[in-house]
Amino acid sequence: MCTQRIVLVGTVLATAAFGLAAPAPAAPTAETIARNCVVCHGPKEAGQLEIPKLADYPARKMIEMMTGFRDGQKEATIMNRIAKAFSDEQIAALAAYFANR
Amino acid sequence: MTTRRTFLGASLGLGATLALPNLARGASPKVVVVGGGFGGGTAARYVKMLMPAAEVTLVERDKQFVTCPFSNYVIGGIEKMQTITHGYDKIAKRGVKVVHDEAVGVDPAARKVTLKGGRVLDYDRLVLSPGIDFVWGGLEGYDEAAAEIMPHAWKAGPQTVLLRKQLEAMRDGGTVIIVAPANPFRCPPGPYERAGMIAWYLKKSKPKSKILIFDPKETFSKQALFFESYENLYPGMIQWIGGKQGGKVTKVDSKKMTVEAEFGEEKGDVINVVPPQRAGRIAQVAGVADEKGWCPIDPKTMESTKVKGVHVVGDACIAGAMPKSGTSANSQARNAAAAIVAMLQGKEPPEPSYANTCYSIVAEGYGFSVTAMYSATPEGIKEIAGGVSKLKAPPKDRDLEAAYAYDWYRGIMYDALG
Ligand SMILES: Cc1cc2nc3c(=O)[nH]c(=O)nc-3n(C[C@H](O)[C@H](O)[C@H](O)COP(=O)(O)OP(=O)(O)OC[C@H]3O[C@@H](n4cnc5c(N)ncnc54)[C@H](O)[C@@H]3O)c2cc1C
Repeated sequence: MCTQRIVLVGTVLATAAFGLAAPAPAAPTAETIARNCVVCHGPKEAGQLEIPKLADYPARKMIEMMTGFRDGQKEATIMNRIAKAFSDEQIAALAAYFANR
Repeated sequence: MTTRRTFLGASLGLGATLALPNLARGASPKVVVVGGGFGGGTAARYVKMLMPAAEVTLVERDKQFVTCPFSNYVIGGIEKMQTITHGYDKIAKRGVKVVHDEAVGVDPAARKVTLKGGRVLDYDRLVLSPGIDFVWGGLEGYDEAAAEIMPHAWKAGPQTVLLRKQLEAMRDGGTVIIVAPANPFRCPPGPYERAGMIAWYLKKSKPKSKILIFDPKETFSKQALFFESYENLYPGMIQWIGGKQGGKVTKVDSKKMTVEAEFGEEKGDVINVVPPQRAGRIAQVAGVADEKGWCPIDPKTMESTKVKGVHVVGDACIAGAMPKSGTSANSQARNAAAAIVAMLQGKEPPEPSYANTCYSIVAEGYGFSVTAMYSATPEGIKEIAGGVSKLKAPPKDRDLEAAYAYDWYRGIMYDALG
């Protein structure tokens, strides 16, 4: 619930900033996005060896990593390319989602 | 309420009671999934997980699923068939009813699927993830009999083993020919990963041999990364003849072991033909495929735009910017499952989030990737952001990405059939 609210707040703010009365653009929930992440990062049952697990990942660290990858401040093999798809709000929502898993 | 009514009305085009017989009777909703691969396994598993009350039936022809992902590593000799062979026991334990049979008919008005063995299954929502069929004869001289001599190995299983055996039997100094197809086809980086893996084997065992890739295309997936890796790892061994150089093959001859290209005729000791493709036969039978053989879908729900109540995921569907990959199929199926559950509950389907990642390994410890995130737009599925691995990356990055490929494999097999 908490995560969804963050996504919504983000959208509302964006809409307000542009002063539009149009309906908020549709955005996937953090849970919907996060289900893509587990394909490589796994739930622990999947037995990944190298890729960091995301369950219970500290929220602050995830925000730092994801924004760092996105903005080119942190080196990565692959996450730099993926992180560019997300807004600050979505990253915060993902961080909150995984922190409580 | 309005959205619900509009939604059901629009999507069913029939009276809701007629169209959802099981729901109307208060029975548990029935979801049938055809095809127990990356798309179908994932769809079945997620519908059951999100809606435990649903009766989910997975129809799969084969007792075991042999994955195309990692089959190139069997061909190159760094993996065994056992690694890529999976059963359906785990997904069955999750409450999905697994029926080993072939779906041969779909009646979308009556909402019934007919199986070869004679059974008829009712559904409220149907998912088709049949993967691809080959267009036999689409390339002159290439039919099912020719495939026993010039393997495609584009559906994993006995064909994978056949190609490996032919490479093992080949003399040193032999020529391996790979015939790559035009777009669209299953696994855009696949032929070029395969060339790398075959070179990996040849370099160690038959270093005087060479590999020719005949290709009608002028560009292909991760091209610069593949060329860089061939240069680094196998200098002089792999030659790519693209569309501009006359690489389009017009005919193959399995008796003479030749391919005829615009470039000229070439004889091979081992010839691997990746033939033209279309959506699996059941998609054609169900009426969800277009004249080119692929299935248009609603980007938000993966529901067929041609036949209501039928969702098409994976290689069979037309998914805009998404490549035909196992990861794409898995992501499409997960989002389709969420849409299906919402529809069965009379709710608005949630906004989807699609992703793809494809790793290629061209030598032990040498991997790279293409990845992207996608969203549903009224014009189709569009890329939000993504890209390929850096060129000239340090060896440790290539090594890491090869290890990540293995983690991806563990993760996706768990998400699809585990
Ligand atoms: C060499 C190679 C390497 C690849 N490597 C990768 C990779 O590294 N990463 C990646 O993401 N993708 C990879 N792919 C692509 C991947 O294999 C496909 O995109 C993926 O399998 C598509 O999933 P699907 O569900 O559409 O079809 P499939 O996984 O093929 O599943 C279809 C299933 O449906 C069954 N079926 C079909 N018709 C019927 C019927 N009428 N009744 C009952 N059952 C039926 C079939 O038996 C099959 O099990 C690779 C492909 C190849 C050829």
